[in-house]
Amino acid sequence: MLNRRQFTLASALSMGAIAVSGTGVVRAATPQVARFRLPIEPEGLYNVQSISAVVSGVLGNYLLEGLVYLDAAGKAQPWLAQSWQASEDGKIITFKLKSGKTFHDGTPFNAESVKFLFDTILDPKSASPTKGIVGPLSKVETPDEMTVVFTFSKPFAPFINLLGQSYFGFNSPTAVKAAGNAYPRHPVGTGPFMFDKWVPGASIELVRNPNFKQFRPDAANQGLAYLDRVILNVMTEDGVVTSALLTEELDAALLTADGVAPFQSDDRYTIINDQNAKNLMFMEFNYKKAPFGEKAFREAISYAIDREAVLAAAFGGNGKIALGPLSRGIPGYDDAVAQKYGTPYDQKKAKQLFDAAGWVLKDGVRTKDGQPAKFTIRSYASSSTERALAVIQANLADIGIVVEVGTADWGTFYPGLLKPDWDMDLNRWTWSDPSVMSQLFRSPGHRQLLPANDAIDNALDGADTALDTSKRLAFVSEAQKALLEDRRILPLLTDWPMTVTRKALQGYRVDYLGYVYGADLKIASA
Amino acid sequence: MSLVLDEPIMATPPRWRMFLLRLLRNRSALVGGTILLLLVLSALFAPLLAPYDPFKVNPIQRLRPPSWDHFMGTDEVGRDLFSRLIFGTRYFLLICVVTASISASIGTLLGLLAGAGSRFVENLIMRVIDVMLAFPYILMVLVVVAILGPSLWTGMVSIGIAGIPGYARLVRSAVLTVRREDYVLSARALGASESEILFGTILPNVVSPLIVYLAFSMPLAALVTSSLSFIGLGTQPPAPEWGAMLVNSRTYLFSAWWAVAGPGMALFISIFGLNILGNGLRDVLDPRSGR
Amino acid sequence: MTQYVAKRLLLLIPVVIGILLITFLMKALIPTDAVTAMYSGQLSEKDAAEAIATLRAKYHLDLPWYQQFFIYVRDLLQGDFGDSIRLRKPVMEELGYRYVNTIILTLASLGIALVVGLTAGILAAVKRNSWLDVTATTVGLFGISMPAFFFGLLLILVFAVWLRWLPVVPKGNLALLLPALALGLIEAAPISQVARTSMIDVLSRDYIQAARARGASELELVVRHALPNALIVVLTLVGLQIGNLLGGAFIIESIFSWHGIGELAVNAIQWRDFALTQAIILISAATYLVVNLVADILYAWLDPRVELST
Repeated sequence: MLNRRQFTLASALSMGAIAVSGTGVVRAATPQVARFRLPIEPEGLYNVQSISAVVSGVLGNYLLEGLVYLDAAGKAQPWLAQSWQASEDGKIITFKLKSGKTFHDGTPFNAESVKFLFDTILDPKSASPTKGIVGPLSKVETPDEMTVVFTFSKPFAPFINLLGQSYFGFNSPTAVKAAGNAYPRHPVGTGPFMFDKWVPGASIELVRNPNFKQFRPDAANQGLAYLDRVILNVMTEDGVVTSALLTEELDAALLTADGVAPFQSDDRYTIINDQNAKNLMFMEFNYKKAPFGEKAFREAISYAIDREAVLAAAFGGNGKIALGPLSRGIPGYDDAVAQKYGTPYDQKKAKQLFDAAGWVLKDGVRTKDGQPAKFTIRSYASSSTERALAVIQANLADIGIVVEVGTADWGTFYPGLLKPDWDMDLNRWTWSDPSVMSQLFRSPGHRQLLPANDAIDNALDGADTALDTSKRLAFVSEAQKALLEDRRILPLLTDWPMTVTRKALQGYRVDYLGYVYGADLKIASA
Repeated sequence: MSLVLDEPIMATPPRWRMFLLRLLRNRSALVGGTILLLLVLSALFAPLLAPYDPFKVNPIQRLRPPSWDHFMGTDEVGRDLFSRLIFGTRYFLLICVVTASISASIGTLLGLLAGAGSRFVENLIMRVIDVMLAFPYILMVLVVVAILGPSLWTGMVSIGIAGIPGYARLVRSAVLTVRREDYVLSARALGASESEILFGTILPNVVSPLIVYLAFSMPLAALVTSSLSFIGLGTQPPAPEWGAMLVNSRTYLFSAWWAVAGPGMALFISIFGLNILGNGLRDVLDPRSGR
Repeated sequence: MTQYVAKRLLLLIPVVIGILLITFLMKALIPTDAVTAMYSGQLSEKDAAEAIATLRAKYHLDLPWYQQFFIYVRDLLQGDFGDSIRLRKPVMEELGYRYVNTIILTLASLGIALVVGLTAGILAAVKRNSWLDVTATTVGLFGISMPAFFFGLLLILVFAVWLRWLPVVPKGNLALLLPALALGLIEAAPISQVARTSMIDVLSRDYIQAARARGASELELVVRHALPNALIVVLTLVGLQIGNLLGGAFIIESIFSWHGIGELAVNAIQWRDFALTQAIILISAATYLVVNLVADILYAWLDPRVELST
C-alpha cells in the first residue's frame, strides 16, 4: 500500500508533485492501475513481424484474440471461431466465425480480418517469421462474411493448436493499412485492453476496452476488464525488479529462481508457477564428429547426468526433470515412454557402458585408441546454463570424461552450430506443439548434422500430418520412443516460469499456453 | 654536475634503496603493498590455502550460509566460496598483468616514437591514437568479442588494447619535456644514435610517471574486465573469476548475501589496495604532489 | 585562434574515416549478420529461408564488405544513417531520444562529479595530511574500487528499498537521481585526485607564499589563485572522461532502466544490427571529438601560457 511513509517524506522534501504523483497516494479516487514488468523493450507489437516471447506475451495477455484457445487439458476450443471442420484428405480446414466482435477502432471482426492476417504472413514482402510456422498453408479464402477456408499443400496437423498462440491473434486490417510502418507501435486488436501510449525505451500503457465482449468461457470475468489501465515498465535487471516489487512499484513480474527467493516466505506476495511450461533444456550431439556418431557413446553420457542436481543448481529446483524428448506441458507427452526408454541418472551404468565401448580409464581420463575423452560443451551465456554446465561438467568428470565449457551470446552460439566442429551442446527450446520434435530432430536436423533414421523420420512425419487426434498421438508417442532409442536427445528438465505477484493483485492466472486472463486482473482495495 | 655541500659525506645509497625506504615510510604505499603481497602469496599458494576444490560441485550444499565447514558459505552450485575466492586471486593478478602489459608496452612504444620521431611519424601515430580514443572502447570490446568469441583472453586483450592511447599520450608528452633536457642534448652532442637516445636516455627518464600511471590504470582495467561478465562476455564458467562470480550471484543480494559479499569484497579490497598503492607511489616518485 | 580551430576541425576528417574503416573491417569479421541473428532459434528458421534472403538483399548484406562500405558512406553523405534491421525503422528514430537521454545522464553525473570531486579535492588540499585529507582520499577511492553494476545495485538497495527516498522504477525527474549519483560518484574520484594535486602544487608556489606573507586570507588564496588553476586541469580530465562515458554508462543505464545509447549499444551488437552499431559509434565518437576540441580551446583561453599545438 503505497504508502503513507513515502508520501509524507516526499512532501517534506517538497518534491511530492513531481515524484509521487500517480503512485497511488490518492488511490481511492484514482482509477485501477496495475504495473507489470517487461524484461526487454519489444521491437514492435505486431505479430506478423515479431514472435519473440515478450511480444507474444503482451499481445496474448491483453491486446489480441485468436480463433481458438487451449483449455486446461490442452485441447483447442472455439474462441473467435464458432466451429471448424477438416476435409477428408486433411488439406482443407473450414472455420465458421462468431459474430459480434469489433476491433478497438470499430472495424468489425469478420472473415476478411482473418484472411488479411494470413495473407500478410504469406506475402514474401512481409518477411514474416510466422510464415515458417504455418508451413504448408497455401491459401485462405472467404466464401462468405463469417466463413474462412484454409487450404494446405499437405495435411498440417499442428495447425489448430498453433492457432491458440498470439502469433495468430487478429489485428484490425483498417489500422494496419492506415498506419503502415508505424503500425507495430500502435497495435489495434479485439482484446480486453486497448493500446494507449508508448514511451520509447521506458513503458507501454494500455487502457480498458469499453466495448469488450468476452468470448472465452474459461475466463472468470465475463464482462469488461476490471483494470482501467495497465502499465508495462521495461526493466532489464532482475535485482532492480526485485527491489521494485519490494517497494510495491510493480504489481507482478516474471522472475528467475534467484529473483523469487526473497519472496518465498513473505505473505505479502504470491508466487505463481506455470507448471504447464512447455520448455525443455536438453543436450544434443554432433553426429558428424567422432565419437558422437556412436550410439554407445551417446548412451553412456546420457546415463551420467544427474538431472536433479542440474535442476537444483540452475533453477533452484523450480521445475521437473525430464526423461522424454517432449516437455510435459505439451499435449502428447508420453510419460510411459519416457520412463521406459529414458536414461535416468545411473553413474555405475554409465561407467560400465564406457568400459564396454572400449573407453579405458587412465589417470582419471578415459581413452580409446590413444584418444583421450576431452570435449567441449557449447551453450548460450546465461546464469542458468552456466550453472547447469557446472554440474554437467562435474558429472562427466566423475566418470572420466573431461569437458570444457564454451558459452557465447545466442547470435554467436546458435548459428555457430551449423559449422560441424562442435561436440555437444546444451540447448533450450520452448514450443507448444509436438512438432518441435520434427523441427529439431527430423533428419537432417535443425543444424543439418543428423543422418536419416527411418524409425524417427517416419514417426515424425506421421505426427505432423495426422489430423485425427488419436492417430496423431500414437505417432507422437512413437516418435518419442524412436528419439530416445537413438539417444538423439539427452533431455534434462523443464523449468517453471515464476511470476511474483503482490497479494493485492487478484485474478492473476495463466492458461494452458501461459497467457494471462487480462480481463480477470483486479487490484483489491486495501 | 654540481657539488651539493649539505649532502652527507658518506656515499649516498643507491637510488632504488632510497626509493624503497621512502616507500616504506609512506602509509598508503605500505597498506596497498601489503594487500598486493597478500594477493600474490595467495595466488602462489592457492592449493595449500584453499580448504576445498574450487570446482567441486555439490548441489545439496548449495547456498549455505557461512559456517565452520564453509566459513564464507557456498555458492549456487554448492562450491566452497572461500576456496574459489583464493583461486580467484590468480585470475585477478593475471588480468592485471596481461591488460597492463599490453597497454603499457604498445602504448609506451607508440608514445616514444611519437615524441621522438619525425613530424610525419608523430602525426600518423597521434591520428591513430585519436581514432582509438574516440572509438567507444566498450563497443570495441563488444565487437572484438563478437568476432573471437567470449573468453577471458579475448576480454583481457581488448581491454588491454583500449588502454593503449592513455599510455601513448602520457609517454609522448613526457618525452617532449625530457627531450629538451640537458642530458639528452649532451648525449646527442656526444654522438649517440637516435635509438640509443630513445631507449637509453629518454626511456629511463619517463619511467616514473609511467609507473604512477600504471598503478592507477591497472585496477581500472581489472575492474572493467570483471564487468564484462555483466553482458555475458567475460570468463568462461566455471573459472572462479571474481567479476564473473559477482555478476552471477548479484540476484542473491536479497536472499543469500554471502554469495555476493564474498566476491564483492575480494574485488573491492584488491582494487582499493592497488589504488592506494598507486597513491603512495605517486607521492614518492613525484614529491611535488606529495604529503 | 581561428586558424587553430580550422586546423583541428580538418584533422577530424581522417579520424572519422579511420573509425568508419575500422568498423567496416570489424563487420566483415563478425560471423553472423542481423537477419540471421533475428531468425536463428525460431523454429521456423528452415522455412523462413525465403524471408531471410529477402531481408538480406534488402539491406545489402549479401554484398562484400567494401561495397557495403561505399553504399553506407554514400547514404551517410546524404544524411541517411540507414535502417535498424531488428527494429524495422530508421536508426535515427531510435537513436535520437536515446542520445538525448545519455546526454542528460552525462551532464547530471558530471555535475555531481564536479561538486563532490572538487569539494573533496579542495578540502583535502587545504587541510593536507589531516584526517580530512585521508578520509576524502579514501572515500574517493571507494567509488572507483567497485564494479559499476554492483555500486548501482547497492545504491538502489539503500536509497530505494531501505530508505524509500527514491523510486526504483524511473519516474519523473527523480528517475535521474540514482543513475546520475552512481555515475557521478564513480567519476568524482579522479576529479578529486587531480584537484588535490594541482591545488597543492599551486599553494606551494612562491607567489602564493608571498601573498600569504602579505596577510591574504587562506580562503582568498584558494578561491583567487588555486581554484582557477585546479579547474583548468580538471577541464582536460573531464574532456577525456566524456570519452569513457559510454563505457561507464552502458552498465549504469541497464541497471537503472535508463534508456540511453549505452544500453542500446550492447543490444545492437548482440542483435548484429550493424546500421545501429555504426550510428552509435559515429555519434559517440563525434561527441568525444567535439567535446575535446571545446575543452582544448577553453583550456587555451583560460591559460594563455599554453601554446596551441596539435
